[in-house]
Amino acid sequence: MAEKVEIEVKNLNFYYAGNIHALKNINLTISEKKVTALIGPSGCGKTTCLRCFNRMHDLYPKNRYEGEIIFDGKDILSDEIDLISLRSRIGMVFQKPTPFPMSIFDNIAYGLRLKGIKKRDELSERIEKALRHAVLWDEVKDKLNASAYELSGGQQQRLCIARALATNPEILLFDEPTSALDPTATSKIEELIIELKTEVTIIIVTHNMQQAARVSDYTAFMYLGEIIEFGKTDKIFTAPSNKLTEEYITGRFG
Amino acid sequence: MKREKLRKIEGFMALSLSALAAFFGLFWLIFILGDVLVHGMKALNPSLFINDPAPAGVEGGGLRNAFIGHLMITSFATLIGVPVGVLGGTFLAEYARGRKIARVISILSDIMVSVPSIVIGTFIYALLVKPVGHFNGWAGAVALSIIMIPVVLRTTEDMLSLVPWTLREAAFALGAPYYKVIIQVVYRGAATGILTGILLSIARVAGETAPLMFTAFNNSFFSVNMKGPISSLTVTIFQYAMGPYENWHAQAWAASFVITIFILILTILGRLIIKWRYR
Amino acid sequence: MATTFKKNPGDLVFSIITGVASFSVIILIIGVLYVLISESSLSIGKFGIWKFLASTDWDPVKESFGALTNIYGTIITTFLSLIIAIPVAIGIAIFITEISPNFLKGPIGIAIELLAAIPSIIYGMWGLFTLSPIMSAYIEPFLKKITAHIPLIEILFKGTPMGIDILTASIILSIMIIPFTASISRDSFNLTPALVKESAYALGATKWEVVKNVVIPYSKLGVFGGIVLSLGRALGETMAVAFVLGNNHRIATSLLDAAATITVTLANEFAEADKDIYLSSLFYLALVLFVMSFITLAIAKIFLLRAERKYSR
Repeated sequence: MAEKVEIEVKNLNFYYAGNIHALKNINLTISEKKVTALIGPSGCGKTTCLRCFNRMHDLYPKNRYEGEIIFDGKDILSDEIDLISLRSRIGMVFQKPTPFPMSIFDNIAYGLRLKGIKKRDELSERIEKALRHAVLWDEVKDKLNASAYELSGGQQQRLCIARALATNPEILLFDEPTSALDPTATSKIEELIIELKTEVTIIIVTHNMQQAARVSDYTAFMYLGEIIEFGKTDKIFTAPSNKLTEEYITGRFG
Repeated sequence: MKREKLRKIEGFMALSLSALAAFFGLFWLIFILGDVLVHGMKALNPSLFINDPAPAGVEGGGLRNAFIGHLMITSFATLIGVPVGVLGGTFLAEYARGRKIARVISILSDIMVSVPSIVIGTFIYALLVKPVGHFNGWAGAVALSIIMIPVVLRTTEDMLSLVPWTLREAAFALGAPYYKVIIQVVYRGAATGILTGILLSIARVAGETAPLMFTAFNNSFFSVNMKGPISSLTVTIFQYAMGPYENWHAQAWAASFVITIFILILTILGRLIIKWRYR
Repeated sequence: MATTFKKNPGDLVFSIITGVASFSVIILIIGVLYVLISESSLSIGKFGIWKFLASTDWDPVKESFGALTNIYGTIITTFLSLIIAIPVAIGIAIFITEISPNFLKGPIGIAIELLAAIPSIIYGMWGLFTLSPIMSAYIEPFLKKITAHIPLIEILFKGTPMGIDILTASIILSIMIIPFTASISRDSFNLTPALVKESAYALGATKWEVVKNVVIPYSKLGVFGGIVLSLGRALGETMAVAFVLGNNHRIATSLLDAAATITVTLANEFAEADKDIYLSSLFYLALVLFVMSFITLAIAKIFLLRAERKYSR
């Protein structure tokens, strides 16, 4: 069965602070409603690559993209794209939980309120849906007005996932989402990711190979800013075509 | 689409207002400094530094006594205030490290940094002027040193705390007693920071007027006798500016110019030292 | 940890010297309180506490003194200066941290530091010779004109626009406070972790929305502490205000009236007080000011400590 391509990355090159060439000729296809993992040793450019999808690099001066990322028929790297609406369609979860200084309810409502949704019932409904998707509803349904800081680290991260889910994004980007969490919280989030993919396309950066093997359908191995190998996760981990990939997978470096 | 446009417009306006605020702030700086520059330089001439004041209403004369007096008072204040401040900060950062008393003194110092300087003036008046029967330069120096102490104490404490504990351990491991570790190793490590703190505290007290007004008071004649009233630039500026004579006003501007330049140089120097050291 | 080091005689001596030096702060505070109270005891005895604080008298001849006019002036000028200074200072902080291009951040930061370093007497001079004439020639008549027929507001602008009044003094005071408040606010804003801001951006927020919804709530405590600290400083300002406030002991109703603050009264009258009761009443004023500012500064410190604790999680 041919899978639908949601995003196509064509010859992506990225330069930091003017001329540091951080991404070199990246070509990728992200399949709809699948999990694609980006793995590689520290500094290989996987997070840099991830942050191109929602144009996070635009926040800092002197960053430059070359190439195209085609999403929904348009090149999202072009100047004509409205970043605000792009980011409500492509959400992101970060390495550390980043709850806003507000109540749980307001945290999740944030993205919705930005879009103009003000009615209490509509908000409540969507917040409940988001929290259920993030498997956090049962734990917080009685204390939606409590401060988000009262939650544990794992719960806060699920809160951030719920917050990103509330706006019904088509794509969710995860940047090493479990690196700050303990093993129990980590496995909860991994289960969550596997469940979520039936509704959202997911791209996840992880430095933990086993995690990539567990949750992803496709994996891209990156090294020094280039994609060394890309393909179905099973194949990459059991029969990699590239020697470098094999060495990384078997732990010989990284 | 429409809502997003509205949000962008709101954002643009709000951020433009803050940009306006920033330039508003810059504007005053340039305006005030510019004024001081222009008026000050007009009245600046060598006689200002060489001559003492002429009698009231008479043209000419200078502010030699005020320059010298101010220098003396500030120097003595520094000689009293800096050692007390540095030693006090050392206690908080070293011997009393982590103890509750250090926290208490630190917090009280922070409060004393911002206490009205005129209150300090009245305090010293009662302590060092009334009993003696007349205004005196020592009272002025002490009043300024009291203002300096909390400032120097807090910067010293902060700078010493920045020196990593491992540095001290290395010295201990070589068999040095704590006081030697502090004086020979830690002070070296924090030297530039402490120096900057000292420079900035001097800049602060050099511009003070209120604490001098009822302690050293003022003296229209040249005097280096700290036991009697001593002229200072700031009090002179106050008197001259409030006075009726044009040439007094001009001299007040000139004195303002000199003080401002001095303080700005000290301030910039202090920041440069920090920048250069912690590059 | 520190106690084990006292075994060495050199350490014993040095720790005592440094300890005494640090205790000087405590001794100072107690000393100031003691001296101020004892010097004002004559006045406290004659006028009591409440009567002194509530009385608008200030008559050296009749030997009747009260603090109310001074307290009123102090509070009005401080309050007005904060109203002007706070929005500007926060605007500056927002500009420096979020809007300004990197190359401008340094220079503007330095400009703010320099403004903060200018001694208050320079502000006073400038106020007297530059601002005051402008106020009396252009700004105050203009304000009088446009409020001429608005019922309550026109009272605020009654009187001859001399330029030596509450309005001018408050403006100068506000210019003095702005750099200080801006500096503290900027430091508080910078403590917001980049990751939290990025999360807001990632949800599609505009830069202003990130500032409004995330940065400012996050730095509330620090910014508020900074504002209270500026309040404490403004309370004790003397020279910036002394030149342009006049020294009129009355409860002024118009911004164009001269007035008196505790600091200005002290500056103008302390050296001239000829009678014991007069001097004692001035000490009494100093005591009131000391207590007021100490309490304000302590409150500010509490907020700033809470902010510190929150961020070092």
